Amino acid sequence: MRRQAAYGIAYISPGMLIILAFCILPIFMTLYYSFTSYNLAQSPTFVALQNYEKLFTNSQLRKALWNTVIYVIITVPLQTLLAMFVANFLAEYLNNRYGRFLRSVIFIPTLVSYVAAATVWEIIYADKGGLINEFLGLFGIKGMNWLGDPKTALICVSIVAVWKSVGYFTIIFYAGIMNVSVDVREASIIDGATPRQRFWHITAPLLKPITYMNVTLGIIWSFQAFDIVYKLTGGGPFNATSTIAYVIYSYAFQDYRIGYACAIAILLLLVILFIHLIQQQFFEGKED
Amino acid sequence: MTKSDRRSARYYIGVVLVSLFALMCVVPLIYMICVSFAHTSTMYIKFDDIDFTDFSNYVYLFVNKDFGKPLLNSLIVVVVSVIIVDIVSCTMAYGFEKKPIPGKKPMFNMVLATMMIPTQVVFISLYVMMRKANMMNTYVALVIPLVGAFGIFMMRQFIRGVPNDFIEAAQIDGCSEIRIFLQVVLPMVKPARVTLAVFTFNSAWNMFLWPLIITTRNEMQTLTVATSSLTSHLATNYGYPMAAATLSFAVPFLLYCLMQKQFVEGIALGGVKG
Repeated sequence: MRRQAAYGIAYISPGMLIILAFCILPIFMTLYYSFTSYNLAQSPTFVALQNYEKLFTNSQLRKALWNTVIYVIITVPLQTLLAMFVANFLAEYLNNRYGRFLRSVIFIPTLVSYVAAATVWEIIYADKGGLINEFLGLFGIKGMNWLGDPKTALICVSIVAVWKSVGYFTIIFYAGIMNVSVDVREASIIDGATPRQRFWHITAPLLKPITYMNVTLGIIWSFQAFDIVYKLTGGGPFNATSTIAYVIYSYAFQDYRIGYACAIAILLLLVILFIHLIQQQFFEGKED
Repeated sequence: MTKSDRRSARYYIGVVLVSLFALMCVVPLIYMICVSFAHTSTMYIKFDDIDFTDFSNYVYLFVNKDFGKPLLNSLIVVVVSVIIVDIVSCTMAYGFEKKPIPGKKPMFNMVLATMMIPTQVVFISLYVMMRKANMMNTYVALVIPLVGAFGIFMMRQFIRGVPNDFIEAAQIDGCSEIRIFLQVVLPMVKPARVTLAVFTFNSAWNMFLWPLIITTRNEMQTLTVATSSLTSHLATNYGYPMAAATLSFAVPFLLYCLMQKQFVEGIALGGVKG
């Protein structure tokens, strides 16, 4: 037994060291830096809660926090519901060659990097000659400057994010629906349940753990949205699309205000944990 | 599925809607590929401009923009990270799942909890560490954040499925510990390892924020960073950035065509089991 334990320690030590040194230690360093003023040139000086006090008066950050919340509110429900309905349709009605082909096609945007996605969506959204405006032009509708208008920019960014991630969630839901025992579904067909009843009363409740996971992943990922904002809009116009992750990036790696950026990063961590707790309550509460 | 389902108008409307949805998923990518074969200084792209035999945009990237380097860098990062993630995930998962290590539960939970941490929280201090250690612009620095809890978590799910009887039988037969791991356990979880490799490949190939901050020299840039820096000062021909984006899309797409099963099943298993 003791020998087995020694083997076990030998197996986990190398990986554990990497994770401790390059993942867990940085978390505590970030926490420490968040109480300091640090610009990389001089060593960090302790400033207690000053960075955190400044968070409350930073209007740029407040805007970014608000943008991120809107972005999450658009992307997470949209990608979750869309994925659920598409997966349900494919699993229930198109469980054939064509359905499997569609499923493979829907997954393709997941393979693209956000950088490549933003590169092409930039010219799709373009004011003059962009694909969307050209298309609208065919029907005599005057297009608009989608990314240049603060009113539409954030929605446009969210749509690209949904476009890129919906295939991933569709696959997870699809597998989950196929896992809902065939017996259960057949029994419901014999009992005369309509397809809609079957979805709401059998499939959806049984999919709850998977929905929970998809929503959790979606929230965690959406709160960290950076690549797409950086490339598609650079946070503009007039900070209309700047997210928390983007603000952290610009403070830390453009202004080298490490301490302050760390305080915002810790704030982001707390926001994610807080929402995760609420969501846990929500999903558990419904079970009773 | 009943026959009345098949015949109903609602069924056909559904088929059309889902087909349209699938079409919407790929139209932007088809557009990207088309423009990458066009020369255009304006956004107005006519179909006459597109010539699929004209690779001059791609040639320009490699000849004038030295895209061979970022392409090679991305490939190196991908290969190294796939190997390291495989080793770390398999050894740790096996140790955590099958060995009586004191205090392994809190340790494993700690590793698992890192999945909840936003990358920005880790990256700022990791950047400071790498800078102090003079490791900016190195492959080691580029690969490090790809080692994470996800692979360990996933491999543990599968190693759990290896029956303890097999391992004990091998022990009784006098099989050495190393051989049990290499010749009994690893072959049984091979499909999962392939899936993990595919995942690691995709995230290493597409990662952007970390290479953006950790590479300051052009010759260490990865393909995503090189693609990103292209558009900002090259708005004259939209074919160039589209060719770069097509290039960065082509590699995972080819892999997907070859290994679709691993992609799809891996995500499905991760989702259903997780």
